[in-house]
Amino acid sequence: MNWKRTLGLDNLSKEYAFARSEATGYVSAQKIPDYWVPTTCGYCSVGCGIEIGVKNGRAVASRPHAAHPVNRGKLCPKGLSEHYILESENRAKYPLLRKNGKLARVEWEEALTVMVERFHATQAKYGAESLGVLSTGQLVTEEFYALGKLVQLGFGTNNYDGNTTLCMASAVSGYKISFGSDGPPGTYEDLEHADVILLIGANLADNHPILCQYLEANRHKTLIVADPRVSKTAMMADLHLALKPRSDLALLNGIAHLLIRYKLIDRDYVERHTAGFAELERFLEKYTPDRVAEITGISQEALFKVALLYGRAKAGFIGWTMGVNHSTLGTATVNAICNLALLTGHIGRAGAAPMSITGQCNAMGTREAGFTSGLPGYRKFDSARDRAELAALWDVDESRLPRKRGLAYPDIVEAAVAKRIRALWIIATNPLVSYPNQDVLQHGLSNLEFLVVQDGYHPTPTTELADLVLPAAIWGEKEGTYTNSERRVSKVNKAVEPPGDARADFDIFLAVAEKLGRRDELYPGWRTPEDAFNEWRRVSRGRLCDYSGISYSLLAEHGAVPWPLPEGSHPNGNSRLYSDGVFQTSDGRAKFICADWAPFPEQPGGKYPFVLNTGRTVEHWHTRTKTAEVPILERLSPRAWLEMNPRDARRLGLRSHDAVDVVSRRGRVEGVELRLTEIIAPGQVFMPFHFAETNVNEVTQDAFDPISREPNYKQCAVRVERSLANARSGANA
Amino acid sequence: MTTLPLMESALLSAVSRAKSESLALIEPASRPLIPERPLESGEQYRFHFDMRKCIGCKCCVVACNEQNGNPAELNWRRVGEVEGGHYPFTQRHYLSMGCNHCLEPSCLIGCPVEAYTKDPNTGVVLHSADTCIGCQYCTWNCSYGVPQYNAQRGVVGKCDLCHNRLSDGMAPACVAACPEGAIAVEIVNIAEWRRDYLPANAPGLPSADDSISTTRITLPDNLSPDTGRVDLHRVALEHPHWPLVFMLVLTQLCVGAFAVLWLLDRLGRASLNLAAFASLGLAGASLAASSLHLGRPIYAWRALKGLRRSWLSREVLTLSLFAGAAAAFAGMLLLDLPGRGAAGLITTLAGIAGIMCSARIYTVRARPAWFRAYTPAEFYSTALLLGPLFVELVNGGVPLWVRIAAIAGASVQLLTQLLKFLWLSRSEAFELRASSLLLSGRLRDLFVTRLVLLPGVGVALSLAATRGWILAAAFAASLIGEWLGRYLFFVSVVPKNIAAGFASSERKAA
Repeated sequence: MNWKRTLGLDNLSKEYAFARSEATGYVSAQKIPDYWVPTTCGYCSVGCGIEIGVKNGRAVASRPHAAHPVNRGKLCPKGLSEHYILESENRAKYPLLRKNGKLARVEWEEALTVMVERFHATQAKYGAESLGVLSTGQLVTEEFYALGKLVQLGFGTNNYDGNTTLCMASAVSGYKISFGSDGPPGTYEDLEHADVILLIGANLADNHPILCQYLEANRHKTLIVADPRVSKTAMMADLHLALKPRSDLALLNGIAHLLIRYKLIDRDYVERHTAGFAELERFLEKYTPDRVAEITGISQEALFKVALLYGRAKAGFIGWTMGVNHSTLGTATVNAICNLALLTGHIGRAGAAPMSITGQCNAMGTREAGFTSGLPGYRKFDSARDRAELAALWDVDESRLPRKRGLAYPDIVEAAVAKRIRALWIIATNPLVSYPNQDVLQHGLSNLEFLVVQDGYHPTPTTELADLVLPAAIWGEKEGTYTNSERRVSKVNKAVEPPGDARADFDIFLAVAEKLGRRDELYPGWRTPEDAFNEWRRVSRGRLCDYSGISYSLLAEHGAVPWPLPEGSHPNGNSRLYSDGVFQTSDGRAKFICADWAPFPEQPGGKYPFVLNTGRTVEHWHTRTKTAEVPILERLSPRAWLEMNPRDARRLGLRSHDAVDVVSRRGRVEGVELRLTEIIAPGQVFMPFHFAETNVNEVTQDAFDPISREPNYKQCAVRVERSLANARSGANA
Repeated sequence: MTTLPLMESALLSAVSRAKSESLALIEPASRPLIPERPLESGEQYRFHFDMRKCIGCKCCVVACNEQNGNPAELNWRRVGEVEGGHYPFTQRHYLSMGCNHCLEPSCLIGCPVEAYTKDPNTGVVLHSADTCIGCQYCTWNCSYGVPQYNAQRGVVGKCDLCHNRLSDGMAPACVAACPEGAIAVEIVNIAEWRRDYLPANAPGLPSADDSISTTRITLPDNLSPDTGRVDLHRVALEHPHWPLVFMLVLTQLCVGAFAVLWLLDRLGRASLNLAAFASLGLAGASLAASSLHLGRPIYAWRALKGLRRSWLSREVLTLSLFAGAAAAFAGMLLLDLPGRGAAGLITTLAGIAGIMCSARIYTVRARPAWFRAYTPAEFYSTALLLGPLFVELVNGGVPLWVRIAAIAGASVQLLTQLLKFLWLSRSEAFELRASSLLLSGRLRDLFVTRLVLLPGVGVALSLAATRGWILAAAFAASLIGEWLGRYLFFVSVVPKNIAAGFASSERKAA
């Protein structure tokens, strides 16, 4: 501190000066950039248009992109402060190779040579499929497309999956089974047009706050929110269904039962566009209101009310997120949602859609282009025609395309435990925070002979375990496209240079292909992400996710546009899937699925009397590698907490702010701050999953949906006890 | 359709009735977020906050910090949380608050340097960082915790309603950022609002009576009567303000000492010089040291500007007068000049007035535990306890009544502390009860020590002090006891404030 400041002659008026500029109005002078770079937000899949303000080569401000169709001039608190993630101290800046047990800085040349050598050595010793790859929903579509080719054709392993399996896999599987293909049918505008909106396991106000303005704009809706917690979103509802944990499938079946019983279904739609109604009708007989009321804890009256509202709606919308997906019955529950839409014909019309509201900024991109749970372009591994078509497009021998999906994320982890996966490449994800039951994961990773972690940040709990850390450019430092929940393709642009030697993931993939000697074959003539995008347009042509009419120049001219956009068609900015009632099945009919409810796998009782629910808070993103670097977000949400109903706390002799341990059969989270609140039901507790310091995934259960392989994050049995490290509890006033 | 259950019509009409009722109350969607016409005379701008719309996303907080280039620790706009009812009929709502641009802004009234103005055109309560000397008195005065001290700058800062944006026809940063349109700027007729400002009150907010907040809050229908703050179970210690702890006790000591000296002189006691100059030295040092409390000590002199309104200005004036008069009195004692009786009287009266001004600084509505006669009682007791002891210690050979005065001071102080604690602990008001819980909880050891030092040491040692070193010990213990008392005075006060979030770091774990 200088002496002028100490005396008070200087009050930092220069640093705190204000100025006017045409673009910003009157604002803190340091926030007035030299120029703005339009791009798309890199957090969630709402896909907001954002502009990064650049001053002297540094990102100094973020603001909503006023003309972007999605966010209408608004951003959430994470978006409003997104530029802070770029200059974090914790950015990965140089390739680091573990030598004598320590990570040491190396040049890219050495890093990639060692990586390819070690992968090849492992594959030579244990078989090609002993190499696994775990990617993400965070890269740009061009990178997903490039990575898929690199892994499946370059390294010849199909044990490749993304963290999207921890997130949206159940929606993907559900869509595929009900409609014949992945692809969310609706659009955000449907939230404005619908007269009845049912949100299931979707806390938009915390997780997708920008979508709440669509709800707010819809003055004529009846909003029904099904959530065991009185979430912020539940507070917006006209009718909150405070159902028992994971009873949603029974609720949906109960509604379907009533729709059929009271002829609130669209017979005509069912007859023309669906298959399996008779079986469904028989199957649903057992979902009588009294039984459903018993399972869900919802009154029969409320059940009738919901059935009547949805059945009679002009346009009924069902939105869901992780409350549905994070479940061993996730796929089945998605099918039950699709059943409701099909029974009533609430699909393919303005306001009428079953709609998964995706998690990550570009989970959609990897689902479409990524070569993990399907071949690029929503093609199926087991379809000879799809394989032949893709092989022809790529001019490769069809035998090089896998005939079935490789191991899914949890199965890669289990294969590592069983020493069938011996080398792993983790890209832009942080499983040491996000994977359920950390013990198993850590065991698996410790078995590996070589672990590469490619990330924008270091150290993270995951990069700390790596044998090789590859520093990647992040959002704001590279170019490409993201596709959001409503299938809207939005340009991502570079505003600033990455730190140190960090490189765009795209360039890393190209360099690895080069090292493999496969660059020309995999990426013929590619230099920039646009080259990848143009190839992807060709590959997606004629598919449901048809990008052929979308080009970088079109995106520059029209802004973000949704697929499908076949070449030559005009971007009307509003497209729904299945408006013609023709689905992606062999006979064009959507399928009714008989999806039976069952209790969640680990019921509370005995030593573990509470059901633990997990979720998010609006200030943080996923494992907090980014948002922990944003001071204002840390200020607003500095640590994890555990919600408990005061009635339970009285019994346990606990008070608000006590430090407690959460204990399950799998582990213990220590020293969590207790919050007593009536927003959670007695017998249940809730904890956010963002915090590595108090990681709820020490206790969550590694039980997975048999189809989607998505973890059952939302329910497991725990007990709560006063933390032994709780020397501070007496400090409460 | 004929097979519908009988309850159908009842059910659907119930839903649609609830629907239409709530719709009828919702204001038009197109309601502008900033005024569409200029202000007329008798009007001012103010915030409107619609609690029904707020989803607690805190965009406004982030946007405000970006707008004003503030570090994360300062939040001119804050979002608090309130909760009521029982599961599953729980209600949770949010409260987004900037400055309330009050009709009787307590920040402005207290400011000693006139850094605050209530803009005559817009009604916005403005603060000048260039005029501000960083005394932080406004942060004690505001019931909403609006002005916040920026230690990096040495000055306070606050929400100015982005009036510079408003005058350009642009919405304030918080208003523009809100995805739900929950915050707006509107025009209020000042006279009408003064008559009925009930809509300025909400669960989670201090009463608008304190300063007539102008922020209008639209509350949800059927708000549960038990709806209240979720941040009540943890209270942080307030800042100790060390320079003030030392300054207050020492100035009070000196006032007591000079009063005793004046009386002794009147009674014909000779050779009081040592005690007089020692007291004068202490007074000078403590007044000088008190400027260390300021963020901008070089501008301490400005504190005289606000005499019309500010008790801080008045304190500076009266204590300066006291010091001046004390110097004159000491000089006259030294030179054995006549008329020093008047000088001593003036010194004493100025000192007594100075202590009263000191006390009035702290008796503010926003800090309920200070807002009682206990505050001046505590300050005067310090003078009565320490002044006589100090004179006796330095000068020696004084009559018994001096010792008795000190013992009386210790006793009154003890009584004051006990009565105050009793009052705090029996109060229904959160801030008072929380203050007593701090004293009996986290601060218990210090508080007990303070109480024991008073009778145990202050009284017993004074009674027993037949030798110099015992007297010195009595004085030292009493002085430490008073310093401790003043430390507890500062840290144990629980200010009024708006509701915070449950986990916000604003209220840190101890």
